[in-house]
Amino acid sequence: MSHTPPAIDIRSLRVDYGNFVAVDDLTLSVPPGEVFGLVGPNGAGKTSTFRVLTTLMEPTYGEVLLAGIDVLEDVENARRIIGYMPDLAPVPYDLKVAEFLEFHAAAYGIGNKAARRDRVAECLEEVALTDQRDKWCKELSRGQTQRVVLAKTLLHRPRVLILDEPASGLDPLARRDLRNALRRLAANGATVFVSSHILSELAEMCTSLCVMNRGKLLASGTAEQVRQILGSTERTITATLLNRHEEARAWLASQPAVHDPVADAPTVTFRFLGDDNAQADLMEGLFHLGIRIRSFEEKRSSFEDILVEVAESNRA
Amino acid sequence: MNLHPSPEIRHAAWNIWQNPIFRRYCQSRLRPRGIGITLIIVLLLAGFITAITSSFGLRGTLTASDTARIGAIVLLVFQCLILFILGTAQVAGGMTAERDEGVIDYQRLIPMSPLAKVVGYLFGLPVREYVLFLATLPFTAWSLWKGGVSHTVWLPLYGTLVSSTLLYHFTGLLTGTVAKNRRWAFLASIGLVFCLYTVIPRLADFGLVFFKYLTIAPVFSESLPGMLPATAGAVVSAKQQLLPTAKFFNLDFSEVVFTLFSQGGLILTFIVMLCRKWRRTESHLLGKAWAAGFFIWIQLLLLGNALPLINPGTLFPSRGFTRMTGILPDWAPKPGEAVLMSGLYGLASLLLMLILTSMITPTTDTQLRGWRRARKLEKSSLPTLGDASTSFWMMLAMALAGAAGWFVFSRALVESHWFPGHQLGHKAAIGFTLLMLAIGTAYQSLLESKGGRAITLAAIFIGVVPLMIGAVLSVISNNLISTAYWVCGLSPATMPFYASGTLLPISDLPESAQATIPNAFHFWLVLTLLLAISLLSRLWSTRKKISLQIPTT
Repeated sequence: MSHTPPAIDIRSLRVDYGNFVAVDDLTLSVPPGEVFGLVGPNGAGKTSTFRVLTTLMEPTYGEVLLAGIDVLEDVENARRIIGYMPDLAPVPYDLKVAEFLEFHAAAYGIGNKAARRDRVAECLEEVALTDQRDKWCKELSRGQTQRVVLAKTLLHRPRVLILDEPASGLDPLARRDLRNALRRLAANGATVFVSSHILSELAEMCTSLCVMNRGKLLASGTAEQVRQILGSTERTITATLLNRHEEARAWLASQPAVHDPVADAPTVTFRFLGDDNAQADLMEGLFHLGIRIRSFEEKRSSFEDILVEVAESNRA
Repeated sequence: MNLHPSPEIRHAAWNIWQNPIFRRYCQSRLRPRGIGITLIIVLLLAGFITAITSSFGLRGTLTASDTARIGAIVLLVFQCLILFILGTAQVAGGMTAERDEGVIDYQRLIPMSPLAKVVGYLFGLPVREYVLFLATLPFTAWSLWKGGVSHTVWLPLYGTLVSSTLLYHFTGLLTGTVAKNRRWAFLASIGLVFCLYTVIPRLADFGLVFFKYLTIAPVFSESLPGMLPATAGAVVSAKQQLLPTAKFFNLDFSEVVFTLFSQGGLILTFIVMLCRKWRRTESHLLGKAWAAGFFIWIQLLLLGNALPLINPGTLFPSRGFTRMTGILPDWAPKPGEAVLMSGLYGLASLLLMLILTSMITPTTDTQLRGWRRARKLEKSSLPTLGDASTSFWMMLAMALAGAAGWFVFSRALVESHWFPGHQLGHKAAIGFTLLMLAIGTAYQSLLESKGGRAITLAAIFIGVVPLMIGAVLSVISNNLISTAYWVCGLSPATMPFYASGTLLPISDLPESAQATIPNAFHFWLVLTLLLAISLLSRLWSTRKKISLQIPTT
C-alpha cells in the first residue's frame, strides 16, 4: 500500500529573533488537497512560519517537510513545488504586468515563448486580470497587485501554495473569486496554506484551519472543532415560555452546564456550556416539569469574538 | 487547471542571453524612453571629445596622430566614469532596491542556480551602462586607428578595463546584497570605488604594493607610452625604463597579467560570497577554510610584490619623493621609515584578519541552528568548517600566517643592504605572533560570545578613545607626552607600530619615546593576552551552554 506523505509536515518548529520567540514548538500536518488556514493576530508568528516553509528563513530548530521534501536539507527541490505569495505582495515598478509574469514563467522554465505567453494568459484569466496585462505594475491598485502576484504564484503549477494574507485589499467580489480559485486548485490536488488575521474570512474558504497566538498553536481542525477547542462552545440561550417562568429559572440554575439564568417573563435567558445532547436533555427536562416552551433560541460567539478573546487572554 | 509540475530546467550560468534575470533587466533598462536621452548625451560627449582633440591637430603643433591619441586617452577616462562610477552605483542601488521593494524573495525562490542569479544581476543591473560604453567604442576605435596605437597597447588596457569593471560591479553587488538600505548601498559603493582610486593606491606607496593592482592604474601606466603622442610617450617610456619594477617574487609578470591575476582572485572570492548569500540568506559571506585561504593568499601577494622592491629601494616612500625632486643619487631610506612600513604591514594584516574573523564568526542564532542540525543528523559535535562552529581555530591560523608574513617583511627590511649589520631575531617573531594572537583572540571571543554590539563598543572605547585622549594630552604639555604614549598604546591600531618600534633593531625612536614605547608595548601586550585568555574561557562556557539548549533527540 503506497503512503502519501502529508503536503505540509511541521515538527517542533521554533523561530527565534535574538531573545524573542516568534514561533514556539509548532507541530502541524496538512494532508494533500486541503485549503488550510492559519489564523492569528498580528505578531502571532504566521509570517515567520511561512518564511521557514518557503525556505526563505532557517528556523532555530524543528523540521519542515513539504510533500516529503525536507526544506532545510533539499532547498532546490522544495522551491520547485512551492508557490509563495508574501504579505503586502510587492511588484517591480519598472515592469508591465505581462513582462513581470513572463519573466517568472521563463525563470521557472516554462516552455518556449509561445507556451509562456499562453500560460501567462491562463493565469491572468484565473485572477480576472486579462485586460490589465499591458498596464505598468506600479499603476495597479492594491487589490489588482494582490491578484497579479497570485497569478505569478500559480505560473509554475506549484503543489503547495503558501499565501500570506492573500485577501487583504480585495473587494468582496475579488474575495469570492479568490475563494473559488483556491477551491479549484485544491480540487486539482494542490495544497493551499493560507493565512489571515480574520478568522471568519478563513472559515469561509478553508477546509480546516489552525489558530496561532504569540508563536504558539492554540487549536487546529475544522472551524467547528477550533471553536470547541478554544472553549467557545458556550452559547446564550433564550427560552420563551408560556407558563411557570420562575420555576423554570430555579430548575435551570440547578443544572451543571447552565450559568446565570435570568427570568424576565415571558423569557428565561441563560449561558449554556454543554454539547448538543445536553441541550436536548435540557429541553426534555423542562418539558417533564410541565413547562410549555414556545421557542428556544441560541446565539454563539462569532469567530471574531473568539479570536479577540484568545488574543486578550494571552495578552493578560 | 492541471497540476503537472513544470519540467525541470537548469539555467546555465554561462548562457547569459537566456538568463531570465539578465533579460528582465534588458527589458526594463533598455526601453527607448529610458535610455534615449542618456544615449544621446553620451554620443554627443564622445563625439565632442573626438572632434575637439582632432581639431587641435588641424591648427596646432601636434600631428593628427598625436591628437587622436590624446582623444583616445580622454575617451578612456570617460568610459571609466561610465562603467566604474555609474555602473557600480547602479548595481549596488539596484540590488538594494530589489530588497527594499521585497521582490528579491521571488528571485530567491526561482529555480536557478545561485551562480546563474549572480551572473544575471551582474550583467543585467548595469546593462544600460554597458550599452552607453559600447556606444563610445566607435569613437575610441577611430581614435586608436587614427593615432596608430598598436593592439599590443590597447588590448591589455581594455582587457584590464573589463576586469576592473567586473571587480567594481561585484563590489557593488555585494554591497547591495549586504547593505540594509538603498542610500547606504549607493554611497558605500561609490565610496569604495573612490577609495580604490585614492586611498588604497596610496598604501602601495608605503610598502603594500599589491593594492595598486586592484585598479587599472598599473596597466594604464604601462600602456601610457604607447598611448601618448610620440614625443611625450618616448619621455615616459625612458623614465619607466629607469625605474626597475620587479614583480611577484621576481617572476617578472607583465602588469596586465598580474593585474588580471590579482583581480581574478578577488572576483572569485566575491562570487563565492554572493553564491553563499543566494543559497541561504543566513550564510556567512565566506566559509571558514576560504577565509583563511584568502588571508594567506593576500599575505603571499603582499610579500611577493614588496620583497623584490626592497633592495632596489623602490618600495620606500621617500624614494618616490626624492624621485620627484631629482635628488636620487644620495638617497637612502631612513630607519624610521622602515619601522613605520613594518608597523603598517602589521596593522594591515591585523585589520584584514579582524575583518575576515567577523565574516566567519557565528552568532548565537547561527550556533543554535547548527546544533539543531547536528542533533537531527545524530552528531555529537558541529562540523569543524560549518558556519555554526567556532571561528577561533581559523582566527588562530590567520594570526599565525599574519605574524609570519609580518616577520618576513620586517626581516627583509632590517636585513637589507640599506641597514648593514642588523638582524631580526626570534624575539621579534614571538612578539609579532603574541600580538596577533592576543588581539585576534580577544576580538574573536568577544564577538562570538557577546555579539557585534560589544565589539562596536570595544572598538570605540579601546580602539579610538585612547587615541583621542593621547592626542589631547600630547597637545596640552610636553610633560604629558610620555603619558600620551602610554594611553595610545592601549589601542590595537597603534600596537603594531609600537611592536615594530620596540622589536626592530633599527628602530630610532625619538628620545621622549625611547623608554616609554617599549614599556607601554610590553605592558599592554601582557594585559591584552590576559584579557584574551579570560574572554576565551568565557567563550568556551558560552558555547557549551548554547549546545545544551538543544536537546539530544
